[in-house]
Amino acid sequence: MSEFIDGSENVSVHGIFNWIFLLAIFSIITVIGNYIGYKHPIQDSLVGMGILSLITLAGVWMERKLPLNISSIIYISVIGIALAFPTMPTSEFVSYYVSKVELLSIVTVFLAYVGIGMGKSWNEFKSLGGRAIIITILVIASTYLGSAIVAHIVLVMTGVPA
Amino acid sequence: MKRNPWRDIRLHGTVLVLVVIAELIGTIKIPITQDVAITIMPLIYTIILGLAFYLIKPIKWIHRKQARIAEGAMMLFIGVLIAKLAVSSGQSIGLIFEMGPALILQELGHLATILVLPIALLLGFKKEAIGMTNSIGREPNVAVVVDKYGFNSPESRGVFAIFIIGTVIGTIFISFLVTFSLSFLPLHPYAFAMASGVGSASMNAAAIGPTLAAFPGLETQIEAFAGFSNLLSFCVGIYIVIFVALPLTEKIYNWLEPKIGRESIMPKKEDEEDA
Repeated sequence: MSEFIDGSENVSVHGIFNWIFLLAIFSIITVIGNYIGYKHPIQDSLVGMGILSLITLAGVWMERKLPLNISSIIYISVIGIALAFPTMPTSEFVSYYVSKVELLSIVTVFLAYVGIGMGKSWNEFKSLGGRAIIITILVIASTYLGSAIVAHIVLVMTGVPA
Repeated sequence: MKRNPWRDIRLHGTVLVLVVIAELIGTIKIPITQDVAITIMPLIYTIILGLAFYLIKPIKWIHRKQARIAEGAMMLFIGVLIAKLAVSSGQSIGLIFEMGPALILQELGHLATILVLPIALLLGFKKEAIGMTNSIGREPNVAVVVDKYGFNSPESRGVFAIFIIGTVIGTIFISFLVTFSLSFLPLHPYAFAMASGVGSASMNAAAIGPTLAAFPGLETQIEAFAGFSNLLSFCVGIYIVIFVALPLTEKIYNWLEPKIGRESIMPKKEDEEDA
């Protein structure tokens, strides 16, 4: 059990039990938000969040246990795509229940954690100054607009109807 | 046992309250002209309220410790977000293959950040500008720049600055940027979806929101393209930065800096060779 007890400064979110409980809390909050915001039945969306949590757990576990230097994001993506792949027997079940959890419900909860977490960077942020902020805004805008415009040109050239 | 991150009732309880408030308020549409409206979604309330709860002094139960747990937990919760997008991608795998050329070529659109380089030079940045404008400056990009130039280099200072500012304002900014783009740019719905995969999970999430709201009926396709394009930005984007973006930024810097470079605004350090 000692691996779950951390020093006061060093709060670890690792360890499979921590992952499971954190994902359970995240799922419950998301399902509540999903119910208030979109009126999806609680039972269905709980199953949906259960599936998504299991995929996440598998991906995070594989990142740690497999001897390959691959990010969990890649594992999770591959598992998720495979389970929903139209020819897979799991496809119908997974697609149905996962569709009961709106992406935006997940995002809303996720960004609450992001908001609290980024408070830590606030002092550094304030010390950086206006010119760096201008550059950051321009960089984000150009990366977004750059790929939107390239994608649009290719879509139009390959004749994809809007 | 008390220190287990999932036992931090203050943090998770606060998040639950924020989410309930946000969902109860719901989406607000502010009309600007007849057909242009700004959409403010619950995800914006939770991120701003979350930051406010950390910063506002009278709120005593959200501290550095809670922020640290939130930051760590967030790395796990990204997985759920990615899993949801992956399921949408799997369902639409045929469509993704069909749109392959657009999906892959739009990754090159991220090179547009280099267009900001001259502005950075005019504002008085020197080699910091190389770190600032070679990419969007998220975790993988920081790693690449630090690896190439060293931790204490001006290039790394530049990418750190973009990383920190992007962390604080990136998510909020991109959500407004996307809302405005949707209103004013007549682009293909799929192009907006693909562009939202900028290589940061939270910015991707914030960019998808308004896009979904703008094209009802296309949810699965938009999620599929957004998720897949973000995945591409993670796997392929990093090589574009290493082999194309960084060398190109350096070349343009060396050519442009003598022409339009200004007096450096950065404090002088003796170990720095002048550019």
